Amino acid sequence: MNTDPSNLTRRDFLSKSLAGAGAGLVLGAPNLLRAASATDPDAIHVALVGFGKQAEVLFACLKNIPGLYFQAVCDISKNKLQYGMGQCRAHQRTAPKGYSDIDEMLATEKGLDVAIIATPDFWHSPHTVKCLEAGLHVYCEKMMAHTIEAAREMVIAMEKSGKLCQIGHQRRSNPRYRFTLDHLINGRKICGQIVNVNGQWNRSLGSSGRIGGEKLHPSAIVPTEVLNRYGFKDMDQYMNWRLYRDLSGGPISDLGAHQIDVFNWFLGTAPKRVFATGGSSYFKDREHFDNVMCLFDYDTPQGEVRAFYQVLTTTSYGVGFYESFLGTEAAIRISEVPSSSAIYRESTAPKWDDLIEQGYLVNKPAPPRPAKTSGAVQSYESPPPEGFDLPGDLPFYRDNKGQLVNKPPHQPHLENFFAAVRGKATLNCDARHAFESEAPIFWVNPSALSKQPIEFTAQHLTV
Amino acid sequence: MSNEEETTSNGNTLALVYGSLLLRVWLGVRAFQTGVEKFAGTRIESQSVSTEGVETGLETTKAIKFYSLDNYHGVPEALMGKFQEEPLMPGFGLPIYDKLLGVALLGLGLTILLGIAYRSSLFLLGLLYISLTWGLILIKEDGGVAWLGTHMVLIVMALALAPHNRVAILKKW
Repeated sequence: MNTDPSNLTRRDFLSKSLAGAGAGLVLGAPNLLRAASATDPDAIHVALVGFGKQAEVLFACLKNIPGLYFQAVCDISKNKLQYGMGQCRAHQRTAPKGYSDIDEMLATEKGLDVAIIATPDFWHSPHTVKCLEAGLHVYCEKMMAHTIEAAREMVIAMEKSGKLCQIGHQRRSNPRYRFTLDHLINGRKICGQIVNVNGQWNRSLGSSGRIGGEKLHPSAIVPTEVLNRYGFKDMDQYMNWRLYRDLSGGPISDLGAHQIDVFNWFLGTAPKRVFATGGSSYFKDREHFDNVMCLFDYDTPQGEVRAFYQVLTTTSYGVGFYESFLGTEAAIRISEVPSSSAIYRESTAPKWDDLIEQGYLVNKPAPPRPAKTSGAVQSYESPPPEGFDLPGDLPFYRDNKGQLVNKPPHQPHLENFFAAVRGKATLNCDARHAFESEAPIFWVNPSALSKQPIEFTAQHLTV
Repeated sequence: MSNEEETTSNGNTLALVYGSLLLRVWLGVRAFQTGVEKFAGTRIESQSVSTEGVETGLETTKAIKFYSLDNYHGVPEALMGKFQEEPLMPGFGLPIYDKLLGVALLGLGLTILLGIAYRSSLFLLGLLYISLTWGLILIKEDGGVAWLGTHMVLIVMALALAPHNRVAILKKW
């Protein structure tokens, strides 16, 4: 699509120039960052496709990454489009071009390098495929798509175009997750044999409600003909697309995809079976189940693993969201929230003094011991496991008030993507790996609906 | 006076001179360094975490102490709010006291250490400690009151030993 010789030179520069190495080196030092200008030879020209809530989360991270020039913003909502353009202008001092239609944007804008896609799930695949075919590298939010067929098309488009396509499973680039997997689970075999995995995302009613309605400001209303053109029946569907079967995979896809991706990533394999149950137990008017519980069976090189996952949208009880890997020698509970994470040593496992000395772990204050029970029950009790913490957190930077704060959780994944665009890294979660991890998730709802286990075959899990 | 009595008298005098000097240094250092600490602050810096020499990608933080005029705080912030709520505490006086406390501690610490107007400096330091004691009584910090009480005993001892103080400037005061 890009025929401008000067842009071709710049793109070539991006992938080959040693200057890119310098830019890559400062990726971890956002306090030194400056927004790129349109004429910087090593600037990466970015199109933001969709500027809703998730795009705002991503943009807060993108602003910290050096060398990006936000050339275009695209959103069907005039309100969001103007907001997104204003955000870019405030950051880089020049306004990006604004579009309500992605086809028009791709046909008009020359010199784009990258598209960041944060549209509703059912648009992920068409938008990603269009951008890849237009010669852009793509960072697309998870879940890849609302159907497995649409997700397959993304993998095929990525491999056909030869462009990069990172899927937004941001935990894959989170240093805490990578340290836990590489150094503790695989490196030091800290868990012993992992026999069980469990995870959850429990969310309160307050966070699960329908949004929009009469409270919506008139400027936020998108004309019905525009909504219809882009697959929404009305404003309610537009605002609450996650609740509709044709537009999204529901809570197991919205929320569960994060944790189930970690299950598959950490275990290094896909499950062989899923058995799920769920229901619209509280939100009777919703198309998707408001609570889902599922069991996955794995065959891993170390043996059988059974994993349980639940997503509840009616209660936040029980530490919100996390993933736990339960082994014979230790259990690791990990979450994007550091305070919800911990490592517990079984009382029968070897001591970890050497791990603490070598900096792999730090002591965590022991939880209060429960009062001893008496009689027969006591003989069934196990000694409480000893608790430990990871030795650090996400890298820090100084915010505009000079305060030292951790990078937001999505930033390392975006940094990995842009480092890959500059030829300085490989993607931590390209579309193929994301598909392999997401494929089992597409079968949770069918299992819950049919109330039958599904035995996976290559047809279920491969492109 | 016999030779034996003379030796004993000299020995006692030397002990009193040493005692006076030790008290002078202790009280001087105590006041001066407390004044210096009014200019102390901490900044948080990040540190990479490595295990067995290998970078992990994780970072942790470390508090680093530093001194700067910008850090000055006479009355600790935690106590300031409590003092402001005290009805007997004159509102106009507190900010002045906050500004002067550090300078007063530095100045008196220095004059005591150098032996400048030694007795008057000790007396003024005693008054300063009494003012602090009064504030702590108001906010019921009994531990702090007792702690300052020991300082007052040391000041009185230093005044009692002042005739044995050596190397002094402005001896009359």
